[in-house]
Amino acid sequence: MSRTYIIALLIFGAILGYFLSFGPTTTQKFKAGVYQLLAPFLTSGSGLKKQITSVRSGLKSLEQLEHENSALQVENRELRATSQGLRDVEHEVNRLRHALNYRERSVFKLIAAEIIARDSSTWWRTVTINRGKRDGVETDMPVVTDTGLVGKTTTVSGTISIVLLISDENCRVAASIEGSREQGIVSGERLKTGMTPLLDLNFLSKQADLKPAQKCYTSGVGGVFPSGLLIGTVKSFRVRELDGQAQLTPAVDLSHLEDVFVVTGRK
Amino acid sequence: MIFFVLLLVLVLFAQIAEFFIPVLPWLYNAHVYIVPVIVFYGAMALPFPLMLALALYAGLLLDALTVQVIGGKVEISTGTSILLYGVLAGIMHGLRPLFARGHWEVHCVMSGVFTSLIVLAQYLMITFRRGSLVFTREVWWQIAGPGLIAIAVAPIFFWLLQWIARMTAYSYGPERERLQ
Repeated sequence: MSRTYIIALLIFGAILGYFLSFGPTTTQKFKAGVYQLLAPFLTSGSGLKKQITSVRSGLKSLEQLEHENSALQVENRELRATSQGLRDVEHEVNRLRHALNYRERSVFKLIAAEIIARDSSTWWRTVTINRGKRDGVETDMPVVTDTGLVGKTTTVSGTISIVLLISDENCRVAASIEGSREQGIVSGERLKTGMTPLLDLNFLSKQADLKPAQKCYTSGVGGVFPSGLLIGTVKSFRVRELDGQAQLTPAVDLSHLEDVFVVTGRK
Repeated sequence: MIFFVLLLVLVLFAQIAEFFIPVLPWLYNAHVYIVPVIVFYGAMALPFPLMLALALYAGLLLDALTVQVIGGKVEISTGTSILLYGVLAGIMHGLRPLFARGHWEVHCVMSGVFTSLIVLAQYLMITFRRGSLVFTREVWWQIAGPGLIAIAVAPIFFWLLQWIARMTAYSYGPERERLQ
């Protein structure tokens, strides 16, 4: 082995040792720093993705139009393009109006945010939002939509934040069941078994006997999530050796999230 | 050197692109990973010190963008991916003579195997932290899926990167010279 190789290995080892010595706080700061550096790329990447999706849907219309005669084809394409554009605007107006209504009637102080990127790793369920410290977002703040709980913020940089979804095994939420005194802990599953993930509600009593469609809310225990946020509805219940466990269908469609709200406090 | 810098830029853009590539529902929601393919190509094409630098850079990016700090705990320490990339890229670097002889197929397959090994290593580490080692069919597919995709896309990426190397007049090939 040549001297250059040994020197290179020694430098590599030294840098590796330095990074391995990082504690949780340093790691979080480091992550936030990297995310802050990449924020412009992630934001523009999100816009680019939307444009590509829009072009793809436009091409589908063209395929359908190929079967018609050439004169009508041109006219039809123009009309379809205009109509598609208006539909997009209408959809966005409806979405924003819905969000605005929710923010006004909510009992919480909310910061509206847009999802700019989804998890790129196999084992964690996260999304990246376009709000950060500059907007008043901090670590461990609940994230919701008008239909229910989404998750909580973990790493927060200046302009973007990472949200750990409730479908992640590490996101644990103290919960209670509507119409009963049962309380438990909701957590996600380690594996993504389908496009719609299910949640586990653990540590229930064996006598809980929950019925499908019963609603599950945050209980407020633990301090991160305020009470009264809808988590999901009961899908099934089973008795285990030591406790009862229910499977929940999340109230929010986590695979099609577009806009969310970060809860910063009560009004 | 230009080629090395280009590889660094490509790794950065590939890492960002992975955020926007949807999972494959027909392959048990397997993710598509491009970065390992680029890093393993770099491992064959670059001299040893630069290969280590590339592994360090890619590992650091991977750790910074994927590892989560939850409740004051880090499941996978920063630097773990650097070590993983370093070891795997080192093995790939050892297979350079085959690459110099024009046998790309071995490296395409190895890129896939190593991509799956990275995902497997991550899974084992989080399992060690969270407990209950589970190996269901879904887990195996989520580990093997990215590897199979990497094998499928590796020839295209290798060809593209080879083309970029030619365009930048990059010519590091001691084995090739020896063979000639």
